[in-house]
Amino acid sequence: MLAKPEFDKNLFLWRTAAAVTVVSGLFSVLVFLLLVLNYLQVQRADPIDDPTLTNLRQEYAAAPERDEALAQRIRELDLLTRKAFFTSQNQLRIGGILLLAGVAVFLVAFKNMARWKPELPQLSDPPAAEEEWAAVATSRRIIGWLSVAVLAAGLLSAYLTESLVAPAPPELAQTPPGEETATVASPGSAPERTYPTWEEIEVNWPSFRGPGGAGVAHFTNIPTRWNVETGEGVRWVTELPRVAANSPVIWGNRLFLSAADENTREMFCYDTETGKLLWTHGLTPFPGTPAQPPKVTEDTGYAAPTMVAHGDRVCAIFANGDVACLDFEGNPVWGRNLGVPVNHYGYASSLIAYENLLLVQYDQNEGGKAMALDMDTGKTVWTAAREKISWASPIIARTPLGDQLMLCSEKQVDAYDPVSGALLWSEECLGGEVAPSPAYRDGVVFVANEYATATAIKLGGTADAVEPAVLWEWDELLPEVASPVGDGKHFYIATSMGDLLSLDARTGEEAWTEMFDDGFYSSPILVGDRLYVADMGGTIHIVGTGDTYQEIATPSMGAPVYATPAYLDGRLYVRTEKHLYCIENRGDKTSQTESRPPTIPAQARILNRPEEAAVCGRG
Amino acid sequence: MKLYLIIVIAGIVLTATFSAMAIEIRFAMPDFQSGYSLPDIFTPDPPAGFGTWDVAILFGALSLATWLVLKKRSRRGLFLLGIASLPYFGFWRKGCICPVGSLQNVTAAVLLPDVGVSVLVVSFFLLPLLFALFFGRVFCAAVCPLGAMQELVAIFPVRISTAIDRSLGLFKYVYLGVAVLGVAMGAGFFVCRYDPFVGIYRLGHSFNMLLAGGVILLLGVFIARPYCRFLCPYGVLLGWMSRFSKWHLHIAPADCVSCRLCEDSCPYNAIDMPTPEIPPGERDHGRTRLRRMVWLAPVIILLGAAGGALMHEPLSRMHPRVLLSERIAAEERGLFEEQSQESESFRAGGETIESLHAEAVALRGRFKTGGAWLGAFLGLMVALKLIGLSTVKERTIFDPNRETCFSCGRCYPYCPVEEEVRET
Amino acid sequence: MSERKKLDRRDFMRGAAAAAFAGATWFAAGSKAEDTVWQLDPNKCTQCGRCSTHCTLNPSAVKCLNQFNICGYCDLCFGYLHPGSRERDTDAENLLCPTAAIERKFIEAPYYEYKIHEERCIGCAKCVEACLVFGNGSFYLQVRQDICVNCNECSIAKACPSEAFSRVPASKPYLYITGDTPPNVVR
Repeated sequence: MLAKPEFDKNLFLWRTAAAVTVVSGLFSVLVFLLLVLNYLQVQRADPIDDPTLTNLRQEYAAAPERDEALAQRIRELDLLTRKAFFTSQNQLRIGGILLLAGVAVFLVAFKNMARWKPELPQLSDPPAAEEEWAAVATSRRIIGWLSVAVLAAGLLSAYLTESLVAPAPPELAQTPPGEETATVASPGSAPERTYPTWEEIEVNWPSFRGPGGAGVAHFTNIPTRWNVETGEGVRWVTELPRVAANSPVIWGNRLFLSAADENTREMFCYDTETGKLLWTHGLTPFPGTPAQPPKVTEDTGYAAPTMVAHGDRVCAIFANGDVACLDFEGNPVWGRNLGVPVNHYGYASSLIAYENLLLVQYDQNEGGKAMALDMDTGKTVWTAAREKISWASPIIARTPLGDQLMLCSEKQVDAYDPVSGALLWSEECLGGEVAPSPAYRDGVVFVANEYATATAIKLGGTADAVEPAVLWEWDELLPEVASPVGDGKHFYIATSMGDLLSLDARTGEEAWTEMFDDGFYSSPILVGDRLYVADMGGTIHIVGTGDTYQEIATPSMGAPVYATPAYLDGRLYVRTEKHLYCIENRGDKTSQTESRPPTIPAQARILNRPEEAAVCGRG
Repeated sequence: MKLYLIIVIAGIVLTATFSAMAIEIRFAMPDFQSGYSLPDIFTPDPPAGFGTWDVAILFGALSLATWLVLKKRSRRGLFLLGIASLPYFGFWRKGCICPVGSLQNVTAAVLLPDVGVSVLVVSFFLLPLLFALFFGRVFCAAVCPLGAMQELVAIFPVRISTAIDRSLGLFKYVYLGVAVLGVAMGAGFFVCRYDPFVGIYRLGHSFNMLLAGGVILLLGVFIARPYCRFLCPYGVLLGWMSRFSKWHLHIAPADCVSCRLCEDSCPYNAIDMPTPEIPPGERDHGRTRLRRMVWLAPVIILLGAAGGALMHEPLSRMHPRVLLSERIAAEERGLFEEQSQESESFRAGGETIESLHAEAVALRGRFKTGGAWLGAFLGLMVALKLIGLSTVKERTIFDPNRETCFSCGRCYPYCPVEEEVRET
Repeated sequence: MSERKKLDRRDFMRGAAAAAFAGATWFAAGSKAEDTVWQLDPNKCTQCGRCSTHCTLNPSAVKCLNQFNICGYCDLCFGYLHPGSRERDTDAENLLCPTAAIERKFIEAPYYEYKIHEERCIGCAKCVEACLVFGNGSFYLQVRQDICVNCNECSIAKACPSEAFSRVPASKPYLYITGDTPPNVVR
């Protein structure tokens, strides 16, 4: 019927086309299989993270001396892997082109098979009209049901999808998770609970850098001579069960430390007379405690903040935002989670206590705040928004205008009323990642940080004019971790590079500078007319506070010291990495209290900063 | 050994920190004594001058296709043009940008503030549509690289039942709607992300996309042009335009003699047959049904809108920020052992988790509105389809359906009228 | 006659609709009509390594670049030497780059020049990470615009965990880590 060229038959061409179809089809299948094999090989021959090569390299690095045979093996394997990778890549590309060409030939031939043996249109009987109308009706029905099915599937997916975020924001916005305090022991209705007086605080070592975080010991009978190797002057030494960066605190005859990792958070209590471990308390999660703790750097750890001991309470805070308060027998009083800190090294600010308040410097990358929690219940008494992050610790400065809570952060130093949380004054004089805490002495606040400057700020003279004024600045050798301290005549700085210097408190002129081999993370503490500071090599430098540098003694602890020791009545409590020492000169222990305290603190945050690498850099 | 350890530890410590930080110059630029001068940093420009040529070539190809469809009436010519378009627009130009994808760029430029689109892209978007408005879907016939690829492999096309064809055809509206929603919400360009053929043009891509492309092509050997018929979102727009086309392809160049020879020639079910005889009484039934369908239409649209709004949670998961927020929330609850890389990067940055969650909640709110629009659109499409299936347009000849016909010309050789015309 | 008129009207409508549609789209879309290309911001990059694995091209269009004017020319270059290396030479066991794509050249004591061999570079960011952590950060990744096919949706951008990828004007197709264009750039 149709005489068009499209419907001509040619059996010879059909046979040729069929043969080409079969050959090209087989070829394509073969290339395809090779490609799949090659793909798997590429997956295996990944030069970026080849496990064998990685292992060999580690082995090579770990060997005590250069292993030529191993080096040779690395070279060979490296070459092999790279060769395999690049050849495979080439093979993939060529294979892809071959496959494409094969398929193209196959298609052309296949198409021509049909072309040379065409099927003429087969006319069947026209369908009955009823059937056609029925087909239209079927279409309607299928479309209808399909739509219903799609809608139902959508609704089912909506029902099954449960957002983890939706309920959270109102909760987060209105009641911080921490407000649900897990009160274990009911404090009863005793609003007039007594809290320790300053006199009591000053004969203890209640917080990081001592009473008020001032860095000043109120006893002068601290030993200057001992030897941990011979045991001379060592009252006791005890092995610590766990490593952590926080410093020891002491109230009465109890010494407290904390430690934590991803899953556990523990507090330890030791007897100061014998060094015996009295109790250990592990925290169980509070409402809001994240199952997975935030990331912290290895050397900051999960328990960088130092605890605080206050009257008959001891409190600790951990990197996941858990804060807990125990009594001296290790029984929990309250605990809560303050919300997970957003902190790229790990939360490190220590706690401090004031009257009935536990003060928390909760500086973060965003949403930071300063908080006061009731010591008895853990309820938030006040919060103040904090703009910038820091790793510094709070101090209570006892100024003529009243007690002030002073906090350092990336930008500035701020002073708050510790009772109400009202901001009293701020001074923008800092920069960078601040770990050193402020120092205060005789109306002068002294703050410093590496890569910024050191600034001495004179407080306003009267209650009406509290506006501070900058006295002087210093921008040469600056501390990275250790906090400065002042004795009224000088302010002292200990740097991570091993410099120890004294600056005139009134003019900022350099009185003396001494350089040591090991740097300082532990903060210097004033003991009468002596300055004690432990370096990372484990040597405790005891120097005079006069106008010139005067070395008194340099006893060694035999192991690196990062934490700041506690100085109490004839004794020195030193935390090294694995041990806790009590150093005592027999007969020294009296009860001699010095006069006024005043000043400031920092936290022993141990960090590997780029400068350390830089030291090794540019061989 | 010690150096190695220090470096590894320091590396662990520092990587987290530095992502958010600007660089720090630790080693000052050396003061060279040997007269050394800094080598050049080679930063070649993107290949330029492509745009105008591409538009010109697209215009030329469309014109040629139009001529082949309407004047030359040559199936072979169209086939050859397709074979030429595939290597040019596909393998040479790597498939980007193509008119199908440009749909999203134009949507983004229209709906989103601060998003622009170049004249080139707008031209790519408009030209095929304008051609469709006057000449039918000549773009699909032989210019679109996706269409050409499928046309080439459609060797043993099997006609599937019209009912199934029509129903599956609904999915391209879903794809269009979801793609537009994705663009409007800033979630991404889904049509490009799930383009099954781009990997073939580039001889490499993710394994899954290559697999999807292979499967669609294999399927296309028997069910011709599956992507075009059931998925292509741009095809929806082309269909709408083509519906009103002035000069569309006709099977018979002169009067159709209703010989039925072309009946089986179209693998796309795109030939409308003469209306079958209407059984007695059916006319009244039909009227009632149509009335019912018209009344039902608003109900379907409203149901669609309500359903779409209810689906905002699963829909919002198409947005990466919502996904990240959910992931972090799940991590915080300890549902995952490890943090995902996205989560790690986010945590290393300056933004707080709370602000991310707030953003996710706001996005979900927007998805509620967007979902309602999507649902309403799909409801409208279903309602229109149902109304269309309930109306009868009396027809006495075999003629292509203007909306679904790809103008591929497969029916030409089957028409005996053509021969007569040529002979006279 | 009337049939004719009706047709004319429909044609007119069609023409008007086409013009209106095209005009509206053009107006709405074309107002900010600058060509853009994909680029990654080195300051947002976290060196996750996905640039080398997620590009539709193989090897990736993302390559490392050494911005010489901030390079320290260190002898002990951590971007070049493997942390487990024992000597500062070109032996495979001492090199960090998995494809040996960095070429080291002595300039004068104690300075060495490091050049990226771009055909070998696969954009894995190993050297970028090391240089950022221990050095000046002069090694960083950039999309090489002559290789990139400028996908409508960049596969790497979709996979990037730190949202470092964005479209930038084609007239300024590179993002330098220092913000400004270094002096010795050749296009």
